[in-house]
This record gives sequence, structure tokens and C-alpha cells, in this order.
Amino acid sequence: MKAESQFQVFEAAPGSLEPIRDFIASFATANDVDKKKIFKLILAVDEIASNIMNYGYPMAGIDDGTIQVSIGCQDGKLRVVLEDNAIPFNPIEKSMPTPEDLMKPVEDRPIGGLGIFLARQSVDLFDYEYRDGKNRNILVVAID
Amino acid sequence: MGFSVKKEIFDKYTALTICGSLDSSTAPQFGEEVKQVVTQNPQALVLYVEELSFMSSAGLRMLIFAKQKLGTAASLILVRPQEQLLETLRMTGLIFSVSIVDQYPE
Repeated sequence: MKAESQFQVFEAAPGSLEPIRDFIASFATANDVDKKKIFKLILAVDEIASNIMNYGYPMAGIDDGTIQVSIGCQDGKLRVVLEDNAIPFNPIEKSMPTPEDLMKPVEDRPIGGLGIFLARQSVDLFDYEYRDGKNRNILVVAID
Repeated sequence: MGFSVKKEIFDKYTALTICGSLDSSTAPQFGEEVKQVVTQNPQALVLYVEELSFMSSAGLRMLIFAKQKLGTAASLILVRPQEQLLETLRMTGLIFSVSIVDQYPE
């Protein structure tokens, strides 16, 4: 089914990751988005949703949090917004691994820090805002 | 889709066949297997990943962990990764730390 926009609210629990990925994939597929772009968008959304579940809500002491996922298609762009009520966390302020870091042999690498990097690298535009007590992570891919 | 991991131990290497989605909900299950494998110091850890359709950074962390624990003398071999996984390995530079093959043993 082709729709201009859709949203769905998911429980902020690991079991929601696959349903969130499926939600994004089915909307993007219905809008004829290239498979490679769909995959990268799914990876980005998965990374952000995982962070919210694994850090955002636990650090806020909230154990029944939710993530609202909205997806829309307009002017040749697919736009996904993830909204949560967890602690404010701006992924854009987080330092990213440098090209030198990424060329390091694996033995010299830190184990973490790749999730947000992958999320930001996998979309054409990554934006963040905190408004009305909510984190809003905005991911946009061009689909032309 | 789900996730499954199957382990086989051979003289010279240990093989894990992983299928489905490796995300932050299933990575702990994979991590447990990896932790057991690295304590046995195999010369190579071979991952059959042809049926692995998704891997997030949670899975990549396990690959880094495995490679660090195995040490430089042992190899980490990925058999038939899907294009999407290859792309993720390229973006993160991990492609330089693993061997990609079409079949193992040859």
C-alpha cells in the first residue's frame, strides 16, 4: 500500500527492533525506494532506536518508554522521525571516529562508538532537536 | 526473521553459522558463543554469514571483540557475506581486519 506518511508507536524494548525495521522497509518498498538505500536507512534507524532503548530510557529511569516512528515521502525525499521521552541526547554532539581511527588495525580500536557513526553515515541528512521534553531524531534520504 | 547461531569445532578452526538478524537484541546470544570460542584459541574463527540478512553495530562490536581476543596470529574469516554487510564493513574500516571468502575450507 502506498501512503504519503505513516507513524507507529513501539515499546522501547529490544523485541521492537525487528518490527521497527519491518515498518520502515515496507513503507520504503511501497514507495519504490532502491534496496541499498532502504538497507542503509534501516541500519541508521536501528542504531538510533537501539541507543534510545539501551541508554536513553534506562538512564532516565523509565522502564516503560516508547518510541514513535514516523515515516513520510515528499519531494523525492524519505524522512523518518524517531521521538522518545528519554534523557536528552544529541547524537550530533557526539564525537565521531576519524578516518585515521577507521584505518586502525582492529587490535587498537575501541569496541564502542560505531553505532552513531553508522547512523549518521548511512543517511543524507541527520538532524536532532529536543522539544517539549522529547528527543526528535530526524533521518532523511534522497530517493531519486 | 529471528536469529540463530550454530557452532562446529574442528581441529584447526571453529565455525559459527549465523542466520537472520544480528542486532542489539540478538548480539548477546552471538556474544556468548564468541566468548566461548575465543577461550579455546582456535587458529581461525570462521563465520558462515550467507543467511545473515542484517547486522548492526552491536554485531560489529562482537567481531571486534573476537578479533582482539583471538590475537593477530588467528584469522577471522567471513564466508559469503551479503552486500549490505560488506558495505557496513567498508564504512567502518573493519573490512581490513577480516578475510572474505566464497567458501571455507577451500
